Order: sequence, then C-alpha cells, then structure tokens
Amino acid sequence: MRRSLFILLGALLVAGAIFAGSFYMSRQVCVMEMSNPADDLSWLRQEFKLSDAQMARVRELHEGYLPKCASMCARIAAQKQKLAEALAGATNISPEAEQDLQELGQLRAQCQAQMLRHFVDVSRAMPPDQGQRYLAEMQRLTLGFHEQIEQSMSDDSVHEHHHP
Amino acid sequence: MESEDVKLGGLLRECRESPALPPRFQEGVWSRIEQAERSGRREGQSWLDAWAVWLLRPRAALVGLAIVLVAGAVLGARVGARAARRDAQAHYLAAVAPNSLR
Repeated sequence: MRRSLFILLGALLVAGAIFAGSFYMSRQVCVMEMSNPADDLSWLRQEFKLSDAQMARVRELHEGYLPKCASMCARIAAQKQKLAEALAGATNISPEAEQDLQELGQLRAQCQAQMLRHFVDVSRAMPPDQGQRYLAEMQRLTLGFHEQIEQSMSDDSVHEHHHP
Repeated sequence: MESEDVKLGGLLRECRESPALPPRFQEGVWSRIEQAERSGRREGQSWLDAWAVWLLRPRAALVGLAIVLVAGAVLGARVGARAARRDAQAHYLAAVAPNSLR
C-alpha cells in the first residue's frame, strides 16, 4: 500500500516535471519564432493576413505617418513642460495655466484625429472585411481606454447619488 | 551414451513410486487458488496498487509519458502563440499610438 503510494506520487512528480518542461520549452520556441521585435508591422501581417503588396502599401503609409506622429508628440511634450512650469509652486490655476491646459487638450485632439486618419488610410489598404476589423480594433485599443474610464466614473457618480 | 541415459532415466521413473492422488484433488487445487486470489485482493489489491502495477508496465509508462509530453507541448505552443501575438500588437500600438493619447 505504502509502496504503491510512493510509486504513484513519484509518477505524478515525474509527469508534472515533464509537462512543465515541455510546456515552457514549447512556449519559448513559439514566442521566439513568432515575434519579430525589429518590425513594428509584424502584427498586422499575422493578424490581418496581408499579402506582400498590401504590406508594402501599409508600410509606406506607416513610414509616412511616423514623422508626423513624432512631431506631434514633441509638440505635446513641449506643451506639457510649459504647463508644468505654469503650475509649479502655484496654489491656484492662473489664466496662463488654464490657457496652456486648453492648448494641450487641443494638441492631443489634433494628434488623435491624425492618428485616426492614419488608421482609416491603413484600413483602406487592406481587404474590406479585414480593414473594417482593423479599424474597429484600433479604435477599441486607442479610444476604448478613455471610454472605460469615463464609463466607470459616470457609474460611480450615479452610484453616489443614490446614497443618502 | 545418450541412449543409455535415456534408458536409465526411464528405469528410474518406473521404479519411483507415485502415490495415488486423493479424490477430487484437481477441484481442491482450483478452489485453493481462487481462495488465495480472493484474500489477496481483499488485503492489498486496492485501487492504489492496481494503479501502481499499471504504471510500472513499460508500455503504460511510455504511453503516459508521451501523452503528458504532447499535452505540455501543445498547450505551451498555444499560450506562446497568444503571448507573441499580444507582444506584436503592443509593439505596433506603441509605434502608432503614443501613450499620451491612450
């Protein structure tokens, strides 16, 4: 009885070790084979099954968009710096700080609009069904985050109003 | 030489007295075997022992090993593919949508 228990426990341990070993090895090999950190667009090719010609067009659009995006990011960073200086040491929000805040919001909105235009352009370079899926996915990933926060905040405020 | 040994063996067998078997000897032997099997099963042959015996068979051990190995590899590949997809997506997203906009 005792011997059998040891045999079973030993077998379970060996099986667990073999399972874990093969799981981690296979996972590692898969990640290494499938990921290509040098290419920003590897996900698009995999996910939306793009042909070489479609990928070339998407790459062209992507490379055209990156400098515009970088320039917009630099403007946002500069505006954030300006706002931080206006707010430094202040106990209330000065008209200058308020102006900087508004400009920062405008810059972010411009940047988002530019980003969404890029997504639309990329989606048009894909087959129609894949393009629609790409656009929906990118909107969910980039704008959905804000929606979630706003939704949770509005839920909280409604919830609070119900309390006496 | 060999034929003499055979002859000698035959003579020895003939002169050895073999007692007559008691009545219903065969039946008695079988009933004792069955009894021994039953009592053996009651004492030690629990499901644990049965499993241990099964596991110690080379073929069963090999089959079990292969199943565990393949299951681990398949699951690992699926999880790995999902992780690689997620990484690639995050990589693309970081390139086109800066964090300040998300």
